[in-house]
Amino acid sequence: MKKIYIHPLPVRIWHWINALGFLLLIATGLQIRYLDLIHVLSFRTAVIAHNWIGFVLIANFFLWLGFYLFTDKIKVYHPELSPTKYYKAAWRQIQFYGYGIFRGEANPHHPNAYHKFNALQSMMYQIIMMLLLPLLFFTGLILWDVARFSTMIEALGGVRVVDTIHVLLFIVFSGFLIVHVYLVTLGHTRSAHIKAMITGYEEVEDAPAQGETPQAESK
Amino acid sequence: MTSDFKKSFMNFSWIRKTTLLAGFVFMTLGLAGAEVRAAENELSKDTKACLECHDKAGEVKKLENGETLSLHISTKAFVDSMHKDNDCEDCHSNIDAKTHGKVKAEIKSKREYALGMRDSCLDCHKKNVKSYNDSLHAALVKEGSKDGRKDAPLCTDCHNPHTVRSAKIVGPISEIPCAKCHEPIFKAWSKDVHGQERIAKGKSAPICSDCHKAHDIKAASLGTGVRDACLNCHKEAVAQHKDWLPNTGRHFEAISCPVCHVPDATRRVNLRLYDVAGQRQLSEKVDAPQFKQLAAAADADNQGLDERALGSLLKAFNQPGAEGQTVLRGRLEVNSGVEAHQIDEKSKAIRACDTCHKVGAEAFQSVSLTIAGPDGRPIRHGVQKEVLTSMLATQSVRGFYVIGSTRIKWLDILLVLVVLGAASVPLGHMTVNYLFKGVRERRKAEKMAAGRAGRTATTSASTSDKTKDK
Repeated sequence: MKKIYIHPLPVRIWHWINALGFLLLIATGLQIRYLDLIHVLSFRTAVIAHNWIGFVLIANFFLWLGFYLFTDKIKVYHPELSPTKYYKAAWRQIQFYGYGIFRGEANPHHPNAYHKFNALQSMMYQIIMMLLLPLLFFTGLILWDVARFSTMIEALGGVRVVDTIHVLLFIVFSGFLIVHVYLVTLGHTRSAHIKAMITGYEEVEDAPAQGETPQAESK
Repeated sequence: MTSDFKKSFMNFSWIRKTTLLAGFVFMTLGLAGAEVRAAENELSKDTKACLECHDKAGEVKKLENGETLSLHISTKAFVDSMHKDNDCEDCHSNIDAKTHGKVKAEIKSKREYALGMRDSCLDCHKKNVKSYNDSLHAALVKEGSKDGRKDAPLCTDCHNPHTVRSAKIVGPISEIPCAKCHEPIFKAWSKDVHGQERIAKGKSAPICSDCHKAHDIKAASLGTGVRDACLNCHKEAVAQHKDWLPNTGRHFEAISCPVCHVPDATRRVNLRLYDVAGQRQLSEKVDAPQFKQLAAAADADNQGLDERALGSLLKAFNQPGAEGQTVLRGRLEVNSGVEAHQIDEKSKAIRACDTCHKVGAEAFQSVSLTIAGPDGRPIRHGVQKEVLTSMLATQSVRGFYVIGSTRIKWLDILLVLVVLGAASVPLGHMTVNYLFKGVRERRKAEKMAAGRAGRTATTSASTSDKTKDK
């Protein structure tokens, strides 16, 4: 096994703040929405906590964005513009997760610092980081002070529509989080990817193929 | 000095004291009487002549409809009034001195007489009459000319022209004319925090006209006029609420003050038809009223509009060719004017968020749809409360949402489905992985065997090569 540096420090800081923040946002969000079922915090405390955590995560998002905008690591997010190439790679990855992994086959994706996402992750994180997460933060921000952002809320279709978008995204991310945590355990050991997100170094097998080693799934 | 005076006063006999007190009282009364007499002397000769006959208690006139009109004008009350500098003829210009009192003048009713006299107010009170003409009261008077409504207030219903005093002179609350028509509301107000303060401290506390204006009166349940009146005195209210109330601005927009400040009130959601382009509440067109008919047609069973009926009604208001865009703007209100005037002390106001932000909260059990009627008063139609939690009504009720209590049920179901679906991914995947354990082990063994075979073959080949070399 050899170690390759795959998760730079700013990304790791962003990731763990985001992870903790998301758990707290989900917890306080559930308390706010289901006051009749959950009685851990008062409504007001939950709302205030939800707002503050939201602001922390918005700031944290800009840490992530700043890192990728001002370093060459942004290459990890470069989309594969050839549909043929992309779909072939995605299909290989689906085959691996849906069948190959059970048979003990090697992961077809070989990561490195500039190519750490497989085809499915690449597409998923483009959508999450560039569309869903900003939309979640934006709807959260304007719901924080409805009167202040009333023009934007009206343009988006009203407070009920904005809240529905926010809740739909919360549902998507709740589902994502469960699947994400499971996929994290599919490294060469159950904790390999978690360790990598703490240390930055991913352990990969010394494989001769294409000069890189099979391995590394995460997120 | 003071103690010396006290001592000498205490040394006075009680007779002396009584005499002194009586002298003081008589002097005061005498001065007051002299003042009234002086004012009476300032009345014009003609006015004095009128009062000579009219200042007789019990002078009445039988009207055609059987009512009795009092003809008594108290000179004392008149000289105390704002109109003391006016001559009777200034208002009663139609009276002919030659025939007055000799030829019987026919008057149909008190109302007819007041209607006939109202233009005389305009001569002096142009500004107030103009305000009044734009008011709900004037609209009701105009309506009265159509449907025979007789109780809409004219100037003289609130201001007795012969006794009217300056608004700056604070009288007892029993002198407030609004109570004549709005008695239940007035009684509620007189017991609430404002009424009690008015009784105790006088002018520092608001009376009807301070919130509703005296002449330019609008329906209280329309617009934000009354809330603005609250904030006009309670200027610090927004800042104070911001200290503890999240989304303060939105709460002030969508909730009327009594909702929280009348703790025992019953509440309802008022979905107002709102004209986006005009930025005002939609009004029923006088020449082509449509709200009542459309609402009745959409709600054939009279069970309240459901989400589909509400959607189709909104569509009817937004048909091609309709002016601007009509949307619904929701607002939380108390159920009646009486309840709106039962403001309690600040310390008793509702601060518990779960009063509203909880499924089944009382405030969301009653929903109505309103449009401003031709006279400015709201016309209502019932809406089923389920509309507030319906996915189909997301677009219709887009301007009203209360976290928790009006949450959309389908989103709750979706959340459960997504979480169960997501949880089934690891469970399913791990199950299949477990079932494939044998396959994996067999393949691994085959691979290792193949590896061993490969290594053996390589070793054999290498040994053979070495032998050949030898």
